[in-house]
Amino acid sequence: MDSKKTLIRFFTIADYEEEEIWLHNQHKNGWKLVKMILPCFYIFERCTPAEVIYRLDYKNNSETSNYFQIFRDYGWEYIGHCVGWLYFRKALSETDSECDGEIFSDNESRVDMIDHVIKTRLLPILIIFLCCILPNFIGSIETNSPLAIVFTVFFAILILIYSYLIVYCGLKLRKLKEKYRND
Amino acid sequence: MDSRIKRIYVPMTESGFYILFCLRQPQHGYGISQQVRQMTGGELVISAGTMYGTLSKMEKDGLIAFEREEEKRKLYRITELGKEVLRLEIKRIERMYKNSKGEGING
Repeated sequence: MDSKKTLIRFFTIADYEEEEIWLHNQHKNGWKLVKMILPCFYIFERCTPAEVIYRLDYKNNSETSNYFQIFRDYGWEYIGHCVGWLYFRKALSETDSECDGEIFSDNESRVDMIDHVIKTRLLPILIIFLCCILPNFIGSIETNSPLAIVFTVFFAILILIYSYLIVYCGLKLRKLKEKYRND
Repeated sequence: MDSRIKRIYVPMTESGFYILFCLRQPQHGYGISQQVRQMTGGELVISAGTMYGTLSKMEKDGLIAFEREEEKRKLYRITELGKEVLRLEIKRIERMYKNSKGEGING
């Protein structure tokens, strides 16, 4: 039996809770996460099936050794990072309360993380969309060369993908914030 | 104290209050969380991300300051501004407590 496997799975910036559950289920089935490779490859290694909690933190800037030390002190194993997301895990048996299995203990810090994701990920995507993709699309419609049709189709597809992602992530992050606020 | 600090920290969250309160002595993140557990009989658990985030924010706002490093752990201590915020918070909580007991502010 193979001791390693690679899975392809795409999670948006608003799906981190689903990603945590998915990684938890993988570990429960005897596959522990080793690393992530952009954009959506997950490398797993065979292990003893166990109940392990996976948690994702988001930090745009590189974190200090103090950050990792605090997480280590709390019993979190750092697995790796992927475009701003930091992956941690802790065996369920090592937690002594529900809070101990969380990396955030109040809703204020959960909302802070979402605001950070919106500011450093969603807004740049929106700016690229408005300042780069949209003007290029309009430009390619107005051009009358045979090659322009290729660009028009290309940008039209990009616009569809971007619009979908922006609306989906924007709405979902807002819903998550409301959920935490009313918790 | 500028109004921004007052707006953000008075009133503050329960976690924020205990973190600031514990830093009257130099302490690192995990040490604070252990101390708070003890003080609240295990009822208040401050998680790693919340601890790190609160410490970073308070350091940036000048409520606490880096004291020294011990085995890769950063130790912080409360500043004069932090003490002032803490005093305001304690006064507010005292007033709330007294009023809840029907003792009134001057009672």
